[in-house]
Amino acid sequence: MSSQAIKTTTIQREQKKFILLMLAPATILMLALTLFPFLVSLYLSFTDYSLIKPDEVNGIGVKNYATLLNSPDFWTSVRVTLVFTISAVAVQTVLGVGIAALLHHETRQAPWLRVIYLLPMAITPIAATFTFRLMFNPSLGVFNYFLTSLGFPPSAWTASPEFALFSLILVDTWQWTPFILLIVMGGMAALPPEPEEASAMDGAGPFRTFFWVILPQLKPYLALALLFRLIDAFKTFDIIFVLTGGGPGILTRTLNLLAYKHGIEFLSMGYASAIAIIMLIFTLFVGQIFLRRLNLFDLKD
Amino acid sequence: MTLAYTMNRRSILLGAAATTLGVSLSPRMGWADSHAAILDMFKSADIDWRAFDGETLVVGAMQHPWADSIESALPIFEELTGIKVTLTKQSETEYVAEMPIKLGAGSAEPDVMMIHALGQFVAAGWAAPLDQFYEDPSLFDAAWYDNDDMFAMARDFPTQPDGENYSMSITAEAQTLFANQKSLDAAGLDLPKTMDDFLAAAIAMKTDMQAGIVMRSKSDGTAGTWPCGGFVFSYGGEVIDADGACVLNSDEAVAGVDMYGRLLKEAGPLGVGNYHWVEVLNDFSSGAAAMGCDSSNFATDISDPAKSIVAADAIYGALPQAGSKPIKANIWAWQAGINANSTKQKAAFLLLSFLNSKPGCALSSANGLATVRNSAWKSAAFQERFGAQAATAALANLNSGDAVIFKRAWFHPKAAEILDPWGIAINEVATGQKDARTALTEATDKINRALGA
Repeated sequence: MSSQAIKTTTIQREQKKFILLMLAPATILMLALTLFPFLVSLYLSFTDYSLIKPDEVNGIGVKNYATLLNSPDFWTSVRVTLVFTISAVAVQTVLGVGIAALLHHETRQAPWLRVIYLLPMAITPIAATFTFRLMFNPSLGVFNYFLTSLGFPPSAWTASPEFALFSLILVDTWQWTPFILLIVMGGMAALPPEPEEASAMDGAGPFRTFFWVILPQLKPYLALALLFRLIDAFKTFDIIFVLTGGGPGILTRTLNLLAYKHGIEFLSMGYASAIAIIMLIFTLFVGQIFLRRLNLFDLKD
Repeated sequence: MTLAYTMNRRSILLGAAATTLGVSLSPRMGWADSHAAILDMFKSADIDWRAFDGETLVVGAMQHPWADSIESALPIFEELTGIKVTLTKQSETEYVAEMPIKLGAGSAEPDVMMIHALGQFVAAGWAAPLDQFYEDPSLFDAAWYDNDDMFAMARDFPTQPDGENYSMSITAEAQTLFANQKSLDAAGLDLPKTMDDFLAAAIAMKTDMQAGIVMRSKSDGTAGTWPCGGFVFSYGGEVIDADGACVLNSDEAVAGVDMYGRLLKEAGPLGVGNYHWVEVLNDFSSGAAAMGCDSSNFATDISDPAKSIVAADAIYGALPQAGSKPIKANIWAWQAGINANSTKQKAAFLLLSFLNSKPGCALSSANGLATVRNSAWKSAAFQERFGAQAATAALANLNSGDAVIFKRAWFHPKAAEILDPWGIAINEVATGQKDARTALTEATDKINRALGA
């Protein structure tokens, strides 16, 4: 090997070493805060570990999973979680894309409207949740004030078996539609203008142009927004804990809340870990298989 | 630790406490003299108060009247013992979530802690056994402490099945009926004495602007279970029987929960399915409900004109009777104990026994705290702060309570797994999702599976 080649290899080795060294702190932190707890959780899910008897940890195989899969409460929580996640994200996507489409063309009002529509993202989620709690108050809240002003009977909202889940979807939609809006607006700004112009020149109206020209090009951005929102909505905890606590009954008890009940209140960490692992499997399934099947990342069409 | 009170407030508290303890105050006795008199009361105990001079202690507490009321006593403890005390307070939600994690990780702090689930804490080994300290003559003077001055239920609560005491009762409260006299007068009614009268009165007093009755029913093990427990017990039912099985599906328990649910469905406020004690207290205090049924401790806030617009109109009474069955109002005594991992357990015991002693309870009761001692409840300062009529009603309800059947459920090591399904069932009945029999049958099955019964 020539001296030049040896020198190049040495430089490449040094570069690799430098890169690995620079990545090391973040990697160690990631492993410590993500991979290690995950492995501990996975281990605990195969044990009967409880904080009531912390010194007695016995391996019980897949008993936690078997109990879980045979538990009506678990399947109720699965149903509630899926209904909440799919409904909330669907509404947010339609609203986000619709508003982005309306704000796409530069008008005098567009910059101001963009700021207003993005404001919910700037508000601390828990502060917004407590504000909504006041607004949902059956006797003093503003929602019932408007309902009664319009001649409708007041609603119990978060305490109502009929409207509790709807109330949660409403709050989640208010908070996270701006997220979808932001990503889609960014995507639309990055699209080349020529296809849209060509479509207009061919006589297509704004609706046809949007649905047949712009929307297909937005697929990768939509995929990203959907992926983030589905995972986030799936593990929503704060608004449910504050507004309904999983009630009325267990009508809004999602999987995350079920894990909290068993882990933090009942102190059954093994069982709660099993719930968390199943949630992770659900999340991986949605993230990898579901979106790939929809070909949302495929730009060939 | 900073002194949160002005000199004037301290002198009032100390004077009230001194009077409670029968120390005659000369009109010319100033703050310094009453302060010295109080200190002398503690020093009269045959205890080595200075044994841990220079030590520091951390007290973990929830946002609670007990935590508020002991703040003024802590400087006196510091002066007496030389032990510096730091009081930390958190919301109940934060405290309940954080303590199992802290204690499960073996944290040595807090040294002294409020205990919200005694059975759980004892089973997990988080609470230090106290009998060893009671038997130490340098730490405890039984004659001076006078256990007989305490309510019987307060003495019974801390004792575990193994006969050991792992905590001290620090407050005594009982389920009490409170009503707005103006609303009763407008409807031409008296305070109801029977459950049927209770339902009829609640329905009669319900208007568009005011609920007839307000009680907890949030879908949570800590919400409706306690007040509904009084209904279950008063109808002759139990939660956990002597064999350790859940018996909420008995006819008696179903009748109790059914009545609780009917009161809320037919006369409760809109949205009662999300009500915890805060909402109950707020609604009654603001005049949004004609009657309420919850802790006797509410009387301190209800009778305070600064916090309640019904202060002058509120009256208190016993839980109504179900047929000819004996009334068994639910009772509760908050517990405080010593962290089993604390390295300062003896100093911590000194603090607990200081706070729960006769002079200690006198100091707290002057702040309106419902302590565990007869002497403190009978004091003029407490009666004025709490309300004489409220105190009479609360005492009657305290004496009607049954600590044995209460402890079987609330102090069970798996109390959370008993109360959660039951709380859900109460909510389902109160919101009309299920009838009492169906909801309680499902809850009983779930609980018995969790208990392995």
